[in-house]
Amino acid sequence: MSVTFRPSDTVDFVVVGVGAAGGVMAKELATAGFRVVALEHGPWRHEKDFTHDEIAVAERGQLVNDHSKQPNTFRKTPNEKAKLQPAIGYCQTVGGGSVHFTANYWRFHPEDFHERSTWGSAVPGADLRDWPITYDDLEPYYTKAEWDLGISGLAGSNPFDGPRSKPYPLPPMPVKSSGVLFDRAAKKLGLHPFPAPMAVLSQPYRGRAACVHCGFCEAFGCEMGAKSSSLMLMPAAVKTDRCEIRPSSYVRKIEVGKDGRVNGAIYFDQQKREIFQRAKAVVVCANGAETPRLLLLSKSNAFPHGLANSHGNVGKYLMFDNGGYAMGVFEHPLNDYKSVVVTRVLHDYYRADPKRGFWGGSGIDARFDWYPVAFAGRGMPTDIPQWGSEWKRTVGQYYTHTMGLLAHTSCLAVEQNSISLDDEVKDAWGLPAMRATFKNHPDDVRMLRFAAERQKEILTTAGAKKIWFDPGSLEEQTFSVHLMGTCRMGDDPATSVVNKWNRAHDVPNLFLVDGSSLVTSGRQQPTETIQALAYRTADYIQQAAKRGEI
Amino acid sequence: MTISRREWLLAAACWAEVLRAQSDQLTWFDSATAAEIKAIACQIIPDDETPGADRAGVIWFIDRALAGYDQDKRELYKRGLAEMQAKRAELFPRSSSIAALTKDQQIQLLRATEKTDFFQAVRYHTILGFFGHPKYGGNRGEVGWKLIGVEYSMQYQPPFGYYDAQAAKESPK
Repeated sequence: MSVTFRPSDTVDFVVVGVGAAGGVMAKELATAGFRVVALEHGPWRHEKDFTHDEIAVAERGQLVNDHSKQPNTFRKTPNEKAKLQPAIGYCQTVGGGSVHFTANYWRFHPEDFHERSTWGSAVPGADLRDWPITYDDLEPYYTKAEWDLGISGLAGSNPFDGPRSKPYPLPPMPVKSSGVLFDRAAKKLGLHPFPAPMAVLSQPYRGRAACVHCGFCEAFGCEMGAKSSSLMLMPAAVKTDRCEIRPSSYVRKIEVGKDGRVNGAIYFDQQKREIFQRAKAVVVCANGAETPRLLLLSKSNAFPHGLANSHGNVGKYLMFDNGGYAMGVFEHPLNDYKSVVVTRVLHDYYRADPKRGFWGGSGIDARFDWYPVAFAGRGMPTDIPQWGSEWKRTVGQYYTHTMGLLAHTSCLAVEQNSISLDDEVKDAWGLPAMRATFKNHPDDVRMLRFAAERQKEILTTAGAKKIWFDPGSLEEQTFSVHLMGTCRMGDDPATSVVNKWNRAHDVPNLFLVDGSSLVTSGRQQPTETIQALAYRTADYIQQAAKRGEI
Repeated sequence: MTISRREWLLAAACWAEVLRAQSDQLTWFDSATAAEIKAIACQIIPDDETPGADRAGVIWFIDRALAGYDQDKRELYKRGLAEMQAKRAELFPRSSSIAALTKDQQIQLLRATEKTDFFQAVRYHTILGFFGHPKYGGNRGEVGWKLIGVEYSMQYQPPFGYYDAQAAKESPK
């Protein structure tokens, strides 16, 4: 039987959101000797709860936030009235996004942390900034994440990667046909493809079995525990007897005491009863959209504009997941629906290059993440009929013969792109709905289109018989699942929300650890960086607590 | 390959669910409406040289969906079908139903209405019923997965496709 705490027990930490970062925080803090209550809005699903049911999971969004209960409103600019429309997607289950993600596991490059300095001048219309930390500060924690979770990859195979203190714990996953075609074509073009680092076990690891290549990674949870999500850390967290994972708990407010320090969290349980869990400190890991929303909901006399928001920075600089999607069909069967989504990647276009005439960069991967309904319904070229005998025959021929190239492209931080509270719309608990304001910087779209040309070159060189794009993926984005930048990390409290230790400038016993503290977007695939920040913050908290500084 | 006890139990539970869903009993549509929706679905995914919406039992899937999880589409079906009937009467004044039209007339009618929300909803439902899990009443005999060449196994081993098999032959480890 695992430990349970009473709400009146003042535990050491409340962790809000047990996702990619929150799962790491809960486990690391409990292991370090702290008493932890981890509150998660979603249920606690286990391997036996995950299925291959495309209709329930991928089409009807079994694992993700439900916009009918928690609506979003969206507008492109602050002058517009926001309309009711889904804009923000995330996984709502213990383990969060790391449960259902593709499992691409990329470190940021050393230059990601000082792109403003490298570029040499400001990007007009954006707020491109250096991070207050360097790659070297984070490197030990990248390594820790890779070894704690179990990552498959080949160290040294990506010539653009930063230095690493240890190789990956597991060899790369076997290459698929998409990887072979991509690899050959990219090399012919003088590029440097490499085996994809994946949060999936290529071999048994620490009591977990290796992947059996079932092919249901993206959007699904792994029914055999071979995906290295933070859900896999829960047994170690619970085993400490100091950590209670409390699912179906929707936090609506972080409470602040007279001393200006946070002292717990008020949440709704499954029966919508309000419960106040007392704690000496709070770590918010609710994701780059829900974290700023929760801070804005946490108004108090000390913080009338929202918690940790004395300079009005909470919610600003929201960054989206830009990704241009190209598809190509080939002569022979690839059967790429089998095994992990991605087996080869290239980072040749990662660095921003002044010669392009705009700021941005991209990593490109070869993938197939189309389940049958999605492929037939939305994945076919748009220049053929979308129903009837000819379409049916084409779907039948294409499904096993197609691969995709996804260009994960940069998103510039723009001040007016933000998460805020909607003035009118409420969620099913009566709380103000999340309002997203977002319009891509023109350089984001230029980068998508630049990458599209590169994708076309690679597919053509690979011998694709027909190439097409998801046309919407090359336009300004209105929906995102990578949620970054809304509580930026920085040294200056006037321009950032947390310091370089993910600690709120305004509140010494409040930590924010998720995509919100990211200063730049990298080239998407932020999960490893988010988890590395969590390991680093947990380490810092442990040191600071020893000095009596929390 | 051996099947574990757990896999066997899962499979047995699953089959019971599939059998229940695949009974030929309408739960939402009346039989006349079912015939009309089926006629539309069977032009979206025709039964031609390979099984289509008819053999897959797509109409049973749509019936279960409107009876169950997709109840908020009932109004769209009611209104949309009425509008499509009006279009049918306009195009083919002497016809009595969509199901009674010739194949070419049905295609003509659907081309004239393919931009409507109703057609798009039936198209999506037809695809769900053809390619989705059989436990929802469609994809009978897994004809949807057979059409696209999916084995639908719980596990696979490399090589997965032509090109990785070829690469493995060229540079064996």
